[in-house]
Amino acid sequence: MHIVGLTWNCGKDPMTTENTTPTISNGLTIEPEPGINRVSGKPDPFASIGLRSRHMPTKRHFGALGPLEKIYLFWFVGASCDGCTIALTAATKPSAEDLMAGTVPGLPRVEVVHTVVSVESGAEWVNNMVMAENGELDAPFVICWEGSVMDETKSGTGYWMGLGEDPDTGRTVTSLEWLTRLAPKAAAVIAVGTCATWGGIPAAEGNVTGAMGTMDYLGKDFRSAFGVPVVNIPGCSPIGDNITETAAAVLLFLQGLAPLPEFDELGRPAWLFGETVHRHCPRAGYYEEGVFAEEYGDKECLVELGCWGPVVQCNIVERGNINGHGGCMQMGGICIGCTMPSFPDKFSPFYATPPGSALSTNTSRVVGGFIRRMRQVTMSDKNRSPRWDEEAPSGWARHKSEPMVANRITTKFYKAYQDSRKSFK
Amino acid sequence: MCFKNLPIEFDSEGRARLREGVGDPYGLNDGDRRRSYTKVAVLERDPVQEGPRVRDWMIDPVTRVAGALAVHTKLDLEKREAVEGHSMAMLFRGYELILQGRDPRDAIDISSRACGVCGGVHSTVSSLAIEQAFGITPPPMGTIVRNLGEVAEMLYDHPLHLGLLAGPDYSSALVEVTNPELVVEARRTPAPNAATHGYQTIGDIMDAMNPLTGEYYVEALGITRLGREMCQLMYGKYPHPSTLVPGGVMTTLSTSTFNEFYNRLMKYVDYSKKLVGIWDDVIDFFLDQNPDYARVGDRPINLIQTGIWDQPEVYDGTYENASAWGDARWSTPGIIINGELLTTRLHDINMGIEEFVEHSFYEDYATDENMKFPQDSLGNPLSPYHAWNKQTIPKPTGRNFKEKYSWSTAPRWDRMTLETGTYGRMWTTALAQKHPTNDFYEATGDGIRILMPEATLPETEMFWKVPGRLNALERNRGRAYATAWTTAVGLGILLQAFDYWRRGETKTHTKFTIPKDERLGAGFWEAGRGYLTHHLHMDKGKLVNYQINTPSTWNASPRDPFGGLGPYEEAIIGTPILESVGDDDVKGIDVLRSIRSFDPCMPCTTHIDTGKGVITRELNSCSCTLD
Repeated sequence: MHIVGLTWNCGKDPMTTENTTPTISNGLTIEPEPGINRVSGKPDPFASIGLRSRHMPTKRHFGALGPLEKIYLFWFVGASCDGCTIALTAATKPSAEDLMAGTVPGLPRVEVVHTVVSVESGAEWVNNMVMAENGELDAPFVICWEGSVMDETKSGTGYWMGLGEDPDTGRTVTSLEWLTRLAPKAAAVIAVGTCATWGGIPAAEGNVTGAMGTMDYLGKDFRSAFGVPVVNIPGCSPIGDNITETAAAVLLFLQGLAPLPEFDELGRPAWLFGETVHRHCPRAGYYEEGVFAEEYGDKECLVELGCWGPVVQCNIVERGNINGHGGCMQMGGICIGCTMPSFPDKFSPFYATPPGSALSTNTSRVVGGFIRRMRQVTMSDKNRSPRWDEEAPSGWARHKSEPMVANRITTKFYKAYQDSRKSFK
Repeated sequence: MCFKNLPIEFDSEGRARLREGVGDPYGLNDGDRRRSYTKVAVLERDPVQEGPRVRDWMIDPVTRVAGALAVHTKLDLEKREAVEGHSMAMLFRGYELILQGRDPRDAIDISSRACGVCGGVHSTVSSLAIEQAFGITPPPMGTIVRNLGEVAEMLYDHPLHLGLLAGPDYSSALVEVTNPELVVEARRTPAPNAATHGYQTIGDIMDAMNPLTGEYYVEALGITRLGREMCQLMYGKYPHPSTLVPGGVMTTLSTSTFNEFYNRLMKYVDYSKKLVGIWDDVIDFFLDQNPDYARVGDRPINLIQTGIWDQPEVYDGTYENASAWGDARWSTPGIIINGELLTTRLHDINMGIEEFVEHSFYEDYATDENMKFPQDSLGNPLSPYHAWNKQTIPKPTGRNFKEKYSWSTAPRWDRMTLETGTYGRMWTTALAQKHPTNDFYEATGDGIRILMPEATLPETEMFWKVPGRLNALERNRGRAYATAWTTAVGLGILLQAFDYWRRGETKTHTKFTIPKDERLGAGFWEAGRGYLTHHLHMDKGKLVNYQINTPSTWNASPRDPFGGLGPYEEAIIGTPILESVGDDDVKGIDVLRSIRSFDPCMPCTTHIDTGKGVITRELNSCSCTLD
């Protein structure tokens, strides 16, 4: 497998004429002042291991494809399970690795500062944030926040979530403090996943950490440096492509290539969360015909087993979860409402029939049941070639099958209808 | 005799009981029963004797691990080794408090969110714990679907760690900085397995491991997606499955399900041959260049595993038969002490587990009032520190290495520090030789023989030999072989699935009602990185207590009340500094290699909370965050 277009792993970028920082054989550049933390001026043992991706020479983009060549992404976590990070690495359109490598023409290269992918550790990793706060980065930065925001005033003299030490004092800095310090300076703050958007499970009843969503914490008046309120991509975990597609849509707008994508009144990408699960569910047809799964593993509509699909806004049935594959209802699982602001408490207990569904499912049983029988008659007719007249010559049929009376009648009427239309051709 | 430190003995019929005449069987101060610690001597060094060339380093955060981990170490530049280690879990969320009082079925979906990296194993183990409490047995196909989902999850997990998290530490980009001479040598060293993986020299492999740009790095990311797609065929969605329920699964199966699974699994037949070749070549090269690499991350061979992949004919979900169905698993549970297999019985494992909070941000919970279950349902004695008795009161305070410094608790078995991991389950399986007979792998007592069928690459027989020591390189090598082994297990289970499908046994679920009386349940399963248990106590149809214990809680644990170190801490101490650069340029990469070789996964390590939830509301001296 070879990545076409990666020019920097063969020495230096041929399109870059100036190259002042020392490079090692594969083209990654090393820290100009090894051993010194550029912010504190103190010796920093991990400084020169900082083969940070941001020191890779930037590939030159065609001017016509926009002014931004590079953008930093600071991915922080609060009360998180890292599931959204894992979801991000499942994205394919575009993929995280393509965004990071800058191999999608028109999209800036995304320099990711994330504990799971970063090369550097400890103080040198923290230095990234200090540089961002001081405005020392050479490109704008975006914050992706994963996990709930925990109320650190409730953590006594300790912390719920520590993330690095202050370079000057050695004090443990909470991840929330980084969010607080960096958010106003970020081009955008994107809350990824249901914990980050609405609070999610860490904010459910019984929690002691005071967990909440990013929007709740930053407040409705919050605007990023580019004037954007918090963007919300819910889901537990979200579909990876929902994350990268939203990011790509915003970046294409910033490049002047595409319109500003539409967001709904809760800051959700409107084109992703505008429809209910049920409207595109592969099992919705069973609902229409009044057939419902009675046992786990049945192939029919899952509403009576506890599925909330008819009222939940999510696109997993259209998009699939990874690479177009998987998803809840597709594979047999119920919708537990994991994209919704009231998840999990207003959907719990998950495996009980939603209380409002009895009226609609029973209506469907009566009306849909009649329609289903009518359709069976038509299906049986359509399964018969006109050449077969009386009987299908199939070796697979167990019994001799003859058209039902109803079939003969409908066939006759439909034939007459077709004949009447022919004169207009 | 299974237990050395806890006063548990067995009668002639093999029933466990507390030895008579021991006043306080689970007391923390009984000097006679203190374990001996291999590395404790190092810790008792007088700090005054530390020369000026001891460098104190706080690595916060440790990157290329899942979740929030910090490590404190001291590097003695005179002796050229690390002489101190503190492992710190940095995050607390309070999941079990949220679970209290809920419908037990909700635990599956809520506890799943304890970890998104091990995104399916928590749902599975939760289903096991609940069905044990409910007293139901899944039909064979339900068990098989769980097994196949777990196979797929491991096939995403191991390549992810090797390619994206551990791999860069052995890439030419990083080694160039710490040991440039190794890269020079690597470029002129032919790769022994070149015919399998296609890289002519070790240098080529190390280039391929370069973060973001390397061919192997990028390929690894793609292959993890394939594993996750397979996982979704069985679990619905990944991470956080949507089809796992007590009594089996609610997956809707069809011929397409198995076809799509089969065709993806076959990709791993070749990929695992390549993976083993790549890692064998790199690891052998490092050891050839400098045998001291065997000291990196070295610690005693003390392991605990809970086993995975049930045999549908044997698994009945009950606690009473846990040791029987545990032994029948494709991956055998077990405890290994100093390289010797001590037991494979899940009952022995369960009764020896304790969780200590002496150095964790919690208040002690082992009071008489909280001691609800002095015995399990079979009469085996349980500690007041056992999960069924555990009540945790979080108490975040300032960090102090002499007192409290981590959100992780310190789980111990028979009061000993045990490690768990991917390689650990191969270790127990290899030594126990109890796995089901199949065409694709065989435990030989000193290793596991794996047969990978012909695909694009020819049929290959691999042999993972039980290593003589437990160090960073062997952990990574084990993980590469485990990818092949898991593929072999997957092939075996898939044939089993076809067999049941052929017989028309396609039912995946057993119906149940939620019992209203008092019940206990325990799930034993494994995550990618090993050991995983959920313990629950329910009454009147609601959860009273829910406890999660994860592999990285074991591995990342801080010190215990007896002065014993956690596995990361043991591994760091004594790790040599093998960098060829001057003192001022030492990066401590071997310390990081040690930690990463465990495949740390912190999200689920630190969810732990239950009980009264008494929070101390002191004024935060650095509450600038919320002003």
